[in-house]
Amino acid sequence: MIEILSNAALATVQDLGRSGSLRWGVGTAGAMDDLALAAGNLMLGNAVGAAGIEIPVFPFKLRFGADCAFALTGADCDARLDERPLLPWWTHRARAGEVLALGVPKGPMRASRALLCLSGGVDVPEVLGSRSTQLRGAFGGFDGRALKRGDVLRCGHDGHGRPTGFGLVPPALAMPLQRDGIAAVRVLPAAEYLAFEPASREAFWNRAWKITAQSDRYGYRLDGEALRPIAPMELLSHGIVPGVIQVPHSGQPIVQMRDAQPSGGYPKFGTVIEADLWRLGQAPIGSRIRFIETTWAQAVAARDEARQWLAKVERMVALHCGARSSGR
Amino acid sequence: MKKTDAQREDIARWLAGTDIGYFELHTPFETLRFGAPEARPAATTLRAGSVGVFRHAHPLHAAALAPIGEPVPAGRAVGLLQIGPLLLPVIAPVAGRVARRLADDGATVGFGAPLIEFQTN
Amino acid sequence: MNAPPATPAFSLLGTTALLFEAPGAFDLEAQQRIWALAKEAEAWPEIREAVPGMKNLMLTFVEPPQTLDALQARLMAAWEAARPLARRGRVVELPVVYGGAGGPHMADVVAHTGLSVERIVELHSAPLYPVYALGSHPGYCYLGGMDPRLATPRRQVPVMSIPGGAVSIGGAQTGVSASAGPSGWNTIGSTTMSFFDPAADPPAALQPGDMIRFRVEEVL
Repeated sequence: MIEILSNAALATVQDLGRSGSLRWGVGTAGAMDDLALAAGNLMLGNAVGAAGIEIPVFPFKLRFGADCAFALTGADCDARLDERPLLPWWTHRARAGEVLALGVPKGPMRASRALLCLSGGVDVPEVLGSRSTQLRGAFGGFDGRALKRGDVLRCGHDGHGRPTGFGLVPPALAMPLQRDGIAAVRVLPAAEYLAFEPASREAFWNRAWKITAQSDRYGYRLDGEALRPIAPMELLSHGIVPGVIQVPHSGQPIVQMRDAQPSGGYPKFGTVIEADLWRLGQAPIGSRIRFIETTWAQAVAARDEARQWLAKVERMVALHCGARSSGR
Repeated sequence: MKKTDAQREDIARWLAGTDIGYFELHTPFETLRFGAPEARPAATTLRAGSVGVFRHAHPLHAAALAPIGEPVPAGRAVGLLQIGPLLLPVIAPVAGRVARRLADDGATVGFGAPLIEFQTN
Repeated sequence: MNAPPATPAFSLLGTTALLFEAPGAFDLEAQQRIWALAKEAEAWPEIREAVPGMKNLMLTFVEPPQTLDALQARLMAAWEAARPLARRGRVVELPVVYGGAGGPHMADVVAHTGLSVERIVELHSAPLYPVYALGSHPGYCYLGGMDPRLATPRRQVPVMSIPGGAVSIGGAQTGVSASAGPSGWNTIGSTTMSFFDPAADPPAALQPGDMIRFRVEEVL
């Protein structure tokens, strides 16, 4: 059991997303860094898709109301448990009354969102098959809204007997992706790609794009050279998914993120591949990103690589925790 | 018969010529003690619990987990052992300090390999 | 408006979904064929969900297939065989206050179409609009049958927040917001209605095949 001590932190309960409800206009939501959530859960022995808390604004504080095992992944944010410094991407044991304090992520490679996983997962009701927060429409997660000071959330169980005190090499280091020293993500061209001027297409792949302050879980607005269509386009509304890069009339691209509308009508330049959404989800406001053109086969392989990394994590954690439990 | 002060001095003079730090003499009448049991700090070698890659610092940090000579509390991670994606802590068994690191940063080590010479207080 | 393509178009939405765009005129019959295609594709084992849009269909994958050729061929064949799936739904009447604070972009529609506010209200409230698809946000209905004279392009810069109940025009389409959120459409009026309840089964109040009529409550 935890009590939130911070206000206005935009923290939300998220799992790996809500699927099967696109037909009713319900998008997937889910953790902006799905890999960090999955890894945190695996370290605790939770189901990989158990609900956790995504924390995008710092500093952030909460108090444990009961004994609990937890994992902190995503951004390295100088975390402390009752003033004891905690290692990042690590599992810990908390005692009732202890306060977890997250500081501001620092440094050139800083990430922007921390994921807090609790033993047994965050215990909120499932709505339409998921515990993710659906902000537009206000349902799912914790009362369909961001967490506030005073909110009390329950864990599935207290994690008693579960080994803690170990961690993981973060995926940003294990599976790095950069172009010219700048964080990069892979993109598959979308339907209207060839309807853009060749000079715009070249600029898209070759320049760095800045993530503006008007960026959040709905979408990232990028600043850079305006992308020009060969002729003006008015499209009929169609389904879209997180990662779709839309180009409105202004020419400044918007990457649809986890809380994106499940449909839209702006021209689509490309889609950031599913396997790289976590990288974008961790890119801080004000930072720059590069886009790498990729093929279907490469994108599927990238997804397999992420899956394999998680499978390896699960195996190694099980080996370690099994060994610990048997007293070896 | 109790030892006289002169005999006590003889024993002390003899001990000074050895490298014995602490000496207890038990007789039916008394126990004589020379030196202090904790005069010299004890050192213990922290060893690898499995095959892995030894790390002085967390991969995300530049600074070492426990700088040489800096006091650390019991239970603090003073090094890491990386096994695939997993990071396991090398833990200070008691309060003390890292006297020397016995394996290089990034070195592959075997089970039982000496990693850190740890000085207890 | 772009000229509609002669053959169906397939495109990728990353590795998450395939987008199928049907050729030809955009009318109820074409949309009914999309419904038929969705019903068939939804049963395919590699498809998680078949989501109709406006004369198009998005298919989300359970797992992205190693190659796409077989799926595209199957989809093409299914489209050619698809017959309009007629659905007789209910008619829902929504009272609308046109213009005023609830219709902040009425002037932009006037400027683009060259029509008066009264004429816009008349043309907008006349038809019976079939619900073509749901999307955008929970419970939101994409409607067919808007008078082409009302068509107004989506806004240069999307508005950060438009309230639930906003009645808007985007390109050749019209719709009603089911909850507050960003929108690139031109809002000409407002209504009150509960479009979505996550506890209900189905959670959306309206579905493809239902019809909406806008009743003029007031023109400000």
